[in-house]
Amino acid sequence: MRKSREVPVTILAAIALSSIGCHDTPENRNCVDEQGRIVPDTYCQSSVYGAHYRYLYGGASGGHYGDSVVGGSTTSNSESGVSRGGFGHDGGGEDGGE
Amino acid sequence: MRRLTVQPRDNWQATVARTGLTGHTLDDGRPYWDESAYWEFTAAEVDRLEAATAEIQRLALIAGDYILDHNRLEDMKIPAEAAARIRETWNSEPPALYGRLDLAFDGRQIKLLEYNADTPTALVEAAVTQWYWLEDFFPDADQFNSLHEKLVVKWKDLVPYLNQPVYFGHDGSEEDFMTVSYLRDTAEQAGHRTIPISMYDIGWEEAAARFVDLDRKPIESLFKLYPWEWLLGERFGAHALESIGSVNWMEPIWKMMWSNKALLAILWELNPNHELLLPAYLDGPRSLQDYVRKPLFGREGKGVTVFRNWAAEEGCDSAVEEPCVYQKLASLATEGGNTAVIGSWLIDGEPAGMGVRESSSLITTNTSRFVPHLFR
Repeated sequence: MRKSREVPVTILAAIALSSIGCHDTPENRNCVDEQGRIVPDTYCQSSVYGAHYRYLYGGASGGHYGDSVVGGSTTSNSESGVSRGGFGHDGGGEDGGE
Repeated sequence: MRRLTVQPRDNWQATVARTGLTGHTLDDGRPYWDESAYWEFTAAEVDRLEAATAEIQRLALIAGDYILDHNRLEDMKIPAEAAARIRETWNSEPPALYGRLDLAFDGRQIKLLEYNADTPTALVEAAVTQWYWLEDFFPDADQFNSLHEKLVVKWKDLVPYLNQPVYFGHDGSEEDFMTVSYLRDTAEQAGHRTIPISMYDIGWEEAAARFVDLDRKPIESLFKLYPWEWLLGERFGAHALESIGSVNWMEPIWKMMWSNKALLAILWELNPNHELLLPAYLDGPRSLQDYVRKPLFGREGKGVTVFRNWAAEEGCDSAVEEPCVYQKLASLATEGGNTAVIGSWLIDGEPAGMGVRESSSLITTNTSRFVPHLFR
């Protein structure tokens, strides 16, 4: 036999069951569009959407997609000395896989 | 090999999604996972595909030495700053997991189309979805697919070499996220602790000169489903190069030599007329009449153009701005207007299984359908 005897997939099945592409988001961080309105985190993380989206740390908002964030900063106060976003935007709309 | 049609399972979408293939349908509503058909191979054909995969891997290893000994990285348009790291890791052999050869097989000849050595996907379909499909439809038949077992064995081998946890970086797309989620499954079953992270969230801590996760914990083992040529072109690219040695990057940076399509021309140069290779050149099509032009860094069929009688037939024939390889057009298995390409997997350098992708054209793209297989 050249097939696997068994193929257990617990993490994969759990993620497939829950909503797709849902990750833990650090507290009080929102992905926003150029007008400062909240959009799904995937817009900030995927190369598909280009460079029109960024994270805002802090600030006040209703917390729902489409709400505007008032205040906030593009760097996290609790994160002095750490920069992020240095990977992840050069795909030009492609996935990393092939 | 032959293509047979069969009635798909009722509610096949939910069935394949349950074991992880959530991207079973294309944006236009056509199935990506297509179980209205399957490919049946003979055991002898699978033996040939397996042997061909092992032989091409042997040729690729020789080509790696040759590329470095003869300073061919420049021909491959690999950035000069990466060269020293490629050389170092080629010699020190840090952990490397997997790769996928794309093979043309028309039932007679097997030819290498390319080597996806850095960030291969379509793994969930090959390792998981078609395995469960076989259990449902033909439990007594066999399948060239011990991917799951071989992945777990390889991860077990890597336990002493990888600091925990092992991070799994992805670019945020659903397909890639599901692929790393599956790889996490295989790593955890081997005893690793795993954490997914989007490439965007990876932090650089200046004072300690190290990569950190969202909790500022250092990242020392990182599987990234993200091509090296993108990493190097981005803001943290120089940090990535510096970190090699203190961070175990998988796949290692030397995979840039194999995922680059200039490899195809170098393989032909070293092994002219090898039965598993197609003529391929870097400086133009030379005497080829029917050929395919592929960008050296192209992915998922992007930028590929098919020429017949020297004229562009499929793909984009805009002026070539990026360096390309010119490869003789291969004979592909064709049935009912579908052309099939075999994705032959290597885990730890050993043949481990295969998947079949079908297209209505000659170019395999990210919308080419995955069709399951079996052999008897």
